[in-house]
Amino acid sequence: MDTSVFVQQLFNGISLGGVYALEAVGFGLIFNILKFSNFSHSGVVAICAYFGFFVSKYVYPNFIVTFVMTTLFGGFVGVAIEKLIFRPIRLKGAPLTLFLVNSITAAMLVQQFFAATLGADYYPYPVFLKQTSLHIGTLAVSKTYVLMLGITAVVLLLLTYILKRTKIGIALRAASTDIRTPSLMGINVDFIISVAFFMAGALGGITGYLLGMTYSVDPFIGSMILKGIIAAIIGGMGSLGGGVVAGLLLGVVESFLIGEIGASLTQIVIYSAIFVLLLIRPEGIAGKRYVIKA
Amino acid sequence: MEFYLKVLEITSLYTILVLGAYLMTGLTGLFSLGQGGFVSIGAYTAAIAFLHFHLPFPVAILLAILMGSLVGFLIGIPTLRLHRDYFLLVTFGFGEMVRAALLHLAQLTGGALGIAGIPQLVGLPMILISILLITFLISSLKGTRFGRNCIAIRDDELAASLMGINVYSHKMKVFILSSAITAYGGALYAFVIMFIEPNLFNWLESAKLIVITFVGGVNSITGAIITSVVYYSFGEFFRFVDVWRDVLLAVAVLFVTIFRSGGIFGSWEFSLKKIFRWISKGIS
Repeated sequence: MDTSVFVQQLFNGISLGGVYALEAVGFGLIFNILKFSNFSHSGVVAICAYFGFFVSKYVYPNFIVTFVMTTLFGGFVGVAIEKLIFRPIRLKGAPLTLFLVNSITAAMLVQQFFAATLGADYYPYPVFLKQTSLHIGTLAVSKTYVLMLGITAVVLLLLTYILKRTKIGIALRAASTDIRTPSLMGINVDFIISVAFFMAGALGGITGYLLGMTYSVDPFIGSMILKGIIAAIIGGMGSLGGGVVAGLLLGVVESFLIGEIGASLTQIVIYSAIFVLLLIRPEGIAGKRYVIKA
Repeated sequence: MEFYLKVLEITSLYTILVLGAYLMTGLTGLFSLGQGGFVSIGAYTAAIAFLHFHLPFPVAILLAILMGSLVGFLIGIPTLRLHRDYFLLVTFGFGEMVRAALLHLAQLTGGALGIAGIPQLVGLPMILISILLITFLISSLKGTRFGRNCIAIRDDELAASLMGINVYSHKMKVFILSSAITAYGGALYAFVIMFIEPNLFNWLESAKLIVITFVGGVNSITGAIITSVVYYSFGEFFRFVDVWRDVLLAVAVLFVTIFRSGGIFGSWEFSLKKIFRWISKGIS
């Protein structure tokens, strides 16, 4: 493999990994606060992919406008899911298993709903960028991928800023450590949970939009989030930074493996690697060991 | 009549899978999205053993069960030590891995085309007897020390381990047993439907199995069976709204979990004893 192909593969891997990283972070935000695996995130991704498609096709075919709209819409979908599905059982003090069941059900609901209404057709996004590639020396990189990488980087930096510097971000992190104590400090925990769902939903919106733009939209687009969830496991759930690193790593490894050994074998290799990793380090790369407390 | 028997056949097949999932999720609280993987393993092992290696039918079925248990054991070693959510996600990955492997090993499994031309060697009587046996097995397990340990682990793992239950090895036993039942269901599936392909059991099918045990009520085998029968036969009777069936199921689940978190049937169990007592009371 000569250098330019290598660099190109690396670049494609990083931009794909960036999307995985976004998924992993959206997933991890909720896991941090409510301590359950939020499968409904795949539902948000799917809804937003469709929303982005319809808006950009029929309403206003401009990339920036539709992108921002989809992001905000994703946030509100996240909040709606929280209010409708998770809040009622949270107020009843239901066990975590019920959250899990509801999140799986929500994912199923969205996927089957789209399969029932829109069928298993593919909906391609309008072409915002001519499928040209940028030429840097001997390298040729797809513009879509450059855009994806740029957006991912900006979003992750923005998120880091919000979490580290703003009051709401600090409250969010406080609630992640312990959900009960912040309410004694005058923090409205219900509100903070809604904020977390809004942020995760907005990330889901971005993910959905990017995925829809790169591939095309079908009811099963939500299952693409699987890779993000895998990244979250590898990185250690609860560690957003770990999720980002693992997402990028996964993207790069995947893009090289697909080039070398083909797509179906790549899946097998990646899953086997996860089994081995979990055997050695059950808490992921950067996760803390999960201590069960009474 | 023919049609109803066919519906009963398919419904019963799925009910075997639900029973396997009930043992894991309902009784022991292990959430596995990899059940579909075990169904595929069972179905493919039996079909390949029968068609390619010309083994007799009972041996093929037995081989499927053994294969299911073995894979269950191997997957269980790293995963059963994990915290619940990790377990769920890794078994999810396992299911997808089986699918990818079946697609990849095209020489043996036929790849995406699947395996066709499996003779229909399993009839309704065998399925019904299997269900009865498995139900009997699980419901009698529920009352023994083994089953009570399962419930203890489900409700509080830490407390269970403090009471002297070896959580890991107990989970392993349950996992292997459940894998065996599920693989058995898969093997029957192959010999009833006569055609198998890698995409038959994706993660959604596995998720449905879990969800059905929750709708019925995690404490009630009766609930799991009734919900499963209603759900799967509904799909066969109302083919024209088939696409909406899963949407309806999902909405029903959300209503149940929000308004009746113990499941529709709570912890009610069907028991012949109670019915006899009730009848004899009526007579006297």
